Amino acid sequence: MANRRSFTVNAVIYAVLIAIAIIDFYPIVYMAVNSSRTAVDFFKNPGGLPEQWNFDNFKALYFRFDVLRLFGNTLYSAMAAFLVTMALAIPASFAFAKINFKFRSSLYMLIIATMTIPSITFVIPNFLLMSRLGLVDHLWSVILIWSITSVPSNIFLLVSLMRGIPNEILEASKIDGIRYAQTMTKIVIPLSVPGIITLAIFNTTGWWNDLFTPLIFLQSDELKTMTVAVATILKRFDTDYPLLLSGLFMTSLPPMIIYIALQKYIKKGLVIGSVK
Amino acid sequence: MHYRTKETLSGYLSLLPAFLALTAIIFYPMANTFFHSFTKWDGATSHWIGLRNYKFIFTNGELWTLLRNNVIFLLSIPGILLLSLIVSVLLFEEVRGWRFFRSLYYIPTILSSVVVGLLMRMMFAQSGVINQFLHALGLSDGKLEWLSHVPTAFLVLIFCFYWQTLGQGALIFLSGLSSISHEIFESSSIDGANWWQRLFHITIPSLIPTIVYFTVTNAIYCFIGLFALVYSVTKGGPGLETTPIDYMIYIKAFQSPDQLGYSSALSIVLFVIVLFVSWVQLRLSNRFQE
Repeated sequence: MANRRSFTVNAVIYAVLIAIAIIDFYPIVYMAVNSSRTAVDFFKNPGGLPEQWNFDNFKALYFRFDVLRLFGNTLYSAMAAFLVTMALAIPASFAFAKINFKFRSSLYMLIIATMTIPSITFVIPNFLLMSRLGLVDHLWSVILIWSITSVPSNIFLLVSLMRGIPNEILEASKIDGIRYAQTMTKIVIPLSVPGIITLAIFNTTGWWNDLFTPLIFLQSDELKTMTVAVATILKRFDTDYPLLLSGLFMTSLPPMIIYIALQKYIKKGLVIGSVK
Repeated sequence: MHYRTKETLSGYLSLLPAFLALTAIIFYPMANTFFHSFTKWDGATSHWIGLRNYKFIFTNGELWTLLRNNVIFLLSIPGILLLSLIVSVLLFEEVRGWRFFRSLYYIPTILSSVVVGLLMRMMFAQSGVINQFLHALGLSDGKLEWLSHVPTAFLVLIFCFYWQTLGQGALIFLSGLSSISHEIFESSSIDGANWWQRLFHITIPSLIPTIVYFTVTNAIYCFIGLFALVYSVTKGGPGLETTPIDYMIYIKAFQSPDQLGYSSALSIVLFVIVLFVSWVQLRLSNRFQE
């Protein structure tokens, strides 16, 4: 039905699409452009262009705020958390999808129901638990909370994927007497790789962007994740808008790069929950 | 060992690590929160005070302010629903470059609420670019303090919420639209139905499951997902006027001494609300499955 539109209709469609594109993209351009200004220059004309492009804010982030360390903290925690999540979720998903045992569907319903529990409702006991374990103000408290609270939603997606693994392949492995661990590493995991990549993107960008868990469990400045550092350390310099903007811009870069590079996986993941 | 026993055993063993972890970090703490909601608790010692926390929550008037704030966000959902629908219907016309717009619209969705919140906070500051722009258009004196007044503070928060959700909504509805079969569209245009008739008699009705999904996930988000946004834009202020329930739980638990019991009770109230919304979702999605 693409060819039967009049010129006016097309013009209206484009006008709306372009207007929304400007509203969507202007703040991002604003953030990028004003990161490269001095505070004095910025306050003369907040909506204008820099009189002179100046990258002192990024230098400050690097030297004074040790942005590489903050990136490292976040990356390390997110990667460790993803490994833990997968180590817990993959065997469980395989069991739910392909192994027959009593109470399978009721246990699965329990997992699904767990997804609806808001994580703020069990944070106080966990905080006390972590402080008893000596893990408060240690990246592993964040890693454990992130990974385990994500297990139910990851199981949910992995089960729906693993149900698609043909039973014949698994039957063959039983007849050959291949052991459980080998079935996992040679058949189940390789066949689930596209799904695992999608989950990796969603989990790690979600964690990268998370405020709540690291805000509560990490206290020293040098342990903070990037997002928390921007919301707490850089916010102390509240009046230096360009500095704060450069921090926001740095925080946004990794998710944006991942999105641009891996778009097709993201779309797949979004759609899994909605249509069906 | 018998084959069936072996299979059962390997099933349970596969589940064991996940269930142990969930018990330690979710199930037990949840029960613990529930228990402590009946106590006065400072983290080390607690003593039983029965329903007093709950009585206090329901009588001190705070809950209604908090709930009102959640409900304001809830009431903003139809707006973003409509916007997402319009955008996806326009994108579905597949004008040249529609893929570019689709990709661009999604970018705000992948940013952290902290980034969005702090960015908008600066843009809506008194000396910020929004005031400058409105002043240049002659619409205001350019001195509006957006975040110090309740209605405008909510406007900024809801703008952030919309700004972050539009791309996701458009994408979800677009995938809903592309699952409608082309034959229905073609046969209806042979029958002489015009664009508007098709919109209201085919497109919208077949999108209803997607609309339900979008509405319910965002309704839940309005109760459990606003923490980071509120933290970075208004910190719940002025006063408690933009504080939703989850932010209040955080304040009571981590910013005020000896309020852990009260905070636990508030957590249970929030849990019951979210449970109710999820139950509605289940009922609705069962109905629309047929």
